Amino acid sequence: MQNIIIKSTSLQPRKKKTVNSFKKYSFIYLLMLPSLILTFVFAYLPMPGILSAFQDYNIFSGLLKSPWVGLKHIKEIFEIPMMWGAIISTFKLSVLTIIVGFPAPIILALMINELRNGLYKKSIQTLSYLPHFLSWIAVVGLMYSFMDPYGPINDLKVLLYGADSERIMFLSKQELFIPFLLLLSVWKDLGWGTVLYLASITSINPALYEAAYIDGANRFKQHIHITLPGIKQTTVLLLIFTLGSLFGSNFELVYGMKNAFIDFDVISTVVYSSGIQQGNYSMAAAIGFSQGLVAFILTFFANKISKKVSQISIW
Amino acid sequence: MNYESGSYKLFKICNIVLLFIIVVIMVFPYLNVLAYAFNDGLDSQFGGISIFPRVWTLDNFKVLIENREIINATIISVLRVIFGTIFALIVQFTSAYAFTQKGFKGKSVILMFLMIPMYFGGGLIPIYLLYSKMHLLNNFLVYVLPVSFSLYNMVIIRSYLYSIPESLAESARLDGANEIIIMLKVYIPLSIPILAVMALWTAVGLWNDWTTTLFFITNHKLYTLQFILMQILKEGERIAKLLEEALIAGKQIDMSSQPKVTPQAIRYAEIILTTIPIVIVYPFLQKHFVKGVTLGAVKE
Repeated sequence: MQNIIIKSTSLQPRKKKTVNSFKKYSFIYLLMLPSLILTFVFAYLPMPGILSAFQDYNIFSGLLKSPWVGLKHIKEIFEIPMMWGAIISTFKLSVLTIIVGFPAPIILALMINELRNGLYKKSIQTLSYLPHFLSWIAVVGLMYSFMDPYGPINDLKVLLYGADSERIMFLSKQELFIPFLLLLSVWKDLGWGTVLYLASITSINPALYEAAYIDGANRFKQHIHITLPGIKQTTVLLLIFTLGSLFGSNFELVYGMKNAFIDFDVISTVVYSSGIQQGNYSMAAAIGFSQGLVAFILTFFANKISKKVSQISIW
Repeated sequence: MNYESGSYKLFKICNIVLLFIIVVIMVFPYLNVLAYAFNDGLDSQFGGISIFPRVWTLDNFKVLIENREIINATIISVLRVIFGTIFALIVQFTSAYAFTQKGFKGKSVILMFLMIPMYFGGGLIPIYLLYSKMHLLNNFLVYVLPVSFSLYNMVIIRSYLYSIPESLAESARLDGANEIIIMLKVYIPLSIPILAVMALWTAVGLWNDWTTTLFFITNHKLYTLQFILMQILKEGERIAKLLEEALIAGKQIDMSSQPKVTPQAIRYAEIILTTIPIVIVYPFLQKHFVKGVTLGAVKE
């Protein structure tokens, strides 16, 4: 309280300082209150619920009275084939998504950057953002229509191979499921992903390019030696965030694309189906908890390594 | 400065063409569904439509617009966007404003308190159990309350508030304005641009969300438009029911011949119905969205 009063004295040389400053700061705490309450209720209150992963949770007895079972459910994760399968699928999907999806916006940003400022550049950017603003389920819907037996892809096939070529239900092919997921995640966020890269390319000092040009570097070499190092910071930061989600998965995409012909589960779809649909709360909480823990550890170490190697970190 | 050589010119042309192809890939699927949505359902079964309808009709949309559940879901979606956005803006602005004030105690502790949930979370099941205890399942409030505070948005608003010169508040103070008046009459009017960006941001997110309904809502009266889209895409029975209701109610649809509106046509129309508000406004919004993203990334 002491330093508050001193500070406000220096700000407003008036009478009744103590009352004024108390009023002033109580108002600030009042403004803070809604965000504090909401964060407490919706982010902190669920945390004890993690304990249900170590219980045989019963919704009627609650956390206090459900029997404790220790690591039983954590062990189960590795024993039930569906769970283990989901973990492997999640990992596989994430790695493939990073390999395909991470460099793509960088390349696109470099391509867009080569265009002169103008209407064409603006239109390209605006139109490439479109899928980002659609919901995942709408994007899945577009895919359903696109791959329909009488949709554009099959039309194209018939056009190329003649009218008697077979119309295929692509979305019910198990072997095409992962490629489709990759395709959609790249398609939806490719354009939007360029925003940050383009912003950091813009902030590179143009004098560097001129100097390189005078030294005889062609456009390609300029990109290798100036643009890419210039966007390194952004790239590393985004990569750290991405690595944290290695065992996370896009529930909306996988759940949306799944159908009766497809046998494919990721961690989040298992949590939903076994937890909320079938009421195996402990089991689902255990796998959700493990996933959160792994994500935190991955982010932590990715950050640490990056700090050592490139002095870039997110905290 | 002249950077151009012969091979660079060739590259530039290839680049322009390639970018054009990429954009076509981005936009074509939507235009294609748009064309099918306005095309006669029976005719659509033969395929072969690119971006223009072959047999123009509004029947597909009529079936949807006249359906009671779709009307109800639209109302719920709109209400959610309105209340959710207003509430989120109030919470985020007040918190951001408080953080710009100097001298009060516990600032860093409070910030830490707000930051920790970014890295640790309960996960879906603990949240579900909590909501069921709080009677938030099948409650409209679950659409509004949990998503209302976002640290990221708060930080962006805060950095905008920092750019407003303090002398404005000082002179208002000298004129005898109290803190509440200063916030309402000085800072809020000056923050309209950033608040507009945040409002659009929140509104698009709320409109597009459907998993909240999937996880926490079973009451049909609280379904949102996006959730119904999911059902229509994934559940055959759902479309059958929709068509049946349309036939029972149907004066507009000719029952004497084969019904013209097919399940597939309903899907196309529903995709368009759910996305059209966003597709119409996004070209105007994207500038603000870009601003928000780059601002947040630079200032954090």
